[in-house]
Amino acid sequence: MLTAVKNQMRVCLLSIKYNMMREMVNKVTFLTNVGFMVLNNASFLVQWAILFRLRGDVGGYTFREIMLLWGLVAASFGLSHILFARVFSLSDLIIGGKLDAYLVQPKNVLASVLTSATDVSAIGDFLYGMGLGLICSRGVGGFFLYLLFTVTGAVVFTAFALLLGSLSFWFVRMDMLQSQMVMGIVSFGTYPDGIFKGVSRFLLYFVIPVGMAVWQPVHLLVSFDAGMFFTVTGYAAFLVVAAVAVFYRGLRRYASGNLMEARM
Amino acid sequence: MNRLAKQDGIVRCMPWRKYAVIYRSVLLENLQYAANIAVGFFSYAVFIYTFIMLWNYMYRTPGELIAGYTKEQMIWYVMMTEMIWFGSSAASVAREVSTDIRGGNIAYLMNKPYHYTLYVMAKYTGGWSIRLPMYAVLAVVIGTVLVGPLPRFPLAAVPAMALCVVLGLTINAVLKMCISLFSFWIEDATPFQWLYDKLLLIVGTMFPVEIFPETLQPLFKLTPIYTVCYGPAKLIVDFSPEKCVEILAVQAVFLLAGCGLMFLIYGRGVKKLYVNGG
Repeated sequence: MLTAVKNQMRVCLLSIKYNMMREMVNKVTFLTNVGFMVLNNASFLVQWAILFRLRGDVGGYTFREIMLLWGLVAASFGLSHILFARVFSLSDLIIGGKLDAYLVQPKNVLASVLTSATDVSAIGDFLYGMGLGLICSRGVGGFFLYLLFTVTGAVVFTAFALLLGSLSFWFVRMDMLQSQMVMGIVSFGTYPDGIFKGVSRFLLYFVIPVGMAVWQPVHLLVSFDAGMFFTVTGYAAFLVVAAVAVFYRGLRRYASGNLMEARM
Repeated sequence: MNRLAKQDGIVRCMPWRKYAVIYRSVLLENLQYAANIAVGFFSYAVFIYTFIMLWNYMYRTPGELIAGYTKEQMIWYVMMTEMIWFGSSAASVAREVSTDIRGGNIAYLMNKPYHYTLYVMAKYTGGWSIRLPMYAVLAVVIGTVLVGPLPRFPLAAVPAMALCVVLGLTINAVLKMCISLFSFWIEDATPFQWLYDKLLLIVGTMFPVEIFPETLQPLFKLTPIYTVCYGPAKLIVDFSPEKCVEILAVQAVFLLAGCGLMFLIYGRGVKKLYVNGG
């Protein structure tokens, strides 16, 4: 059992390594993509500098807390797109009948699908997030907590995308809903929760998981609370279990697209 | 034979006719898939809702002015710039040109009896002709329900505002195409598109120019920000005939210069094209 898990992990890591090597064939394009994504994210500093010039706080957040928020979104989004980029186009694979190539492999189907692509520009997102984490975290302990929440955030991003993408086994056109809901985490998550009230706040905790992916981790980085810490990590674990269960349940309904495809 | 010769004569007399045909075919295609366009409303609504919440927080007292804008004007400004952004979807121009150049499809398109850049522009115009009015209706509905109508909105000036919006989104597409045409030299021009988009998004779309320090404002007026997003949106939220003439004049200059640059880059770029057989 343990050997099988170790083998599967090794295959996943090799897959990610070869994805990266493929993207790095043209070094100039690779470096430009990564570097410009860092600049692209950094340009939003102007937006917050303007808003903080108008008011001392925005939604109850200080400038440092907003930067933690931005860093955590960028790092989590980046990490999930570096390791599991294919999950964000899972709907296309299912609707287009392109899962066949993964089904015939003698390894775990879901792990093979998830690790079969890498988004190069996401490395820029991840580096930007790490940079903000280093600057804005309080001490070494604070940075390690930030790293942990980067992982839980990436897990929530990936599991949420997997859950919605897997619904394509039952419904068509889930690709648009998947991409819009996942981008909803980024759109809402880069603004403080203090500006949202009532029903919208409820929806952003229980329908689109912005609250557990980003807002609560930032609150914990500012003021640690053990109960909330276990709620955040427990929520991430629960979402993974639910998403994996829905994927395998849906996989039983999968009909081959009769598509000839080779994976190198 | 006579009919073909006659058609050829018409095309020679009216060279724009072929672009009108391309425009019409894309327009009809988009009409068929209008429901798909409506799916994008979710992202627009998310963005606008976030900004309504943000500005509700930033304006703490009724009647307060920030950079000379009331809360209603500020929110309507963002709704109009975002309407232009989402409704025009100029990113499709960038994507199409980059894909054609990188994938080699340009080799098939450049020897057709049209100019490639004008062909892309005709397709783009056909796309926004359906999308933009749909987003405009959505923006007016959201704005009227959640923010309230714009005070003293001059209905008679709507044609001038519409002209300004159309010129703005055309200039944006021309400039984005210029950036994409650099794919002839560099493999991927997408990162440069990100920076251009962010310049427009942060300086002209999210905030009006007046919110920035006074020393920077004259500089922004020399950039596409003034013609693409700030100008059209400013006219909608705070119309004045003098401002309208000024913005239209600057837009005319930008459009001419942009088109000149686009033809120049394309002309130089195709000379660098190598086609690999296969």
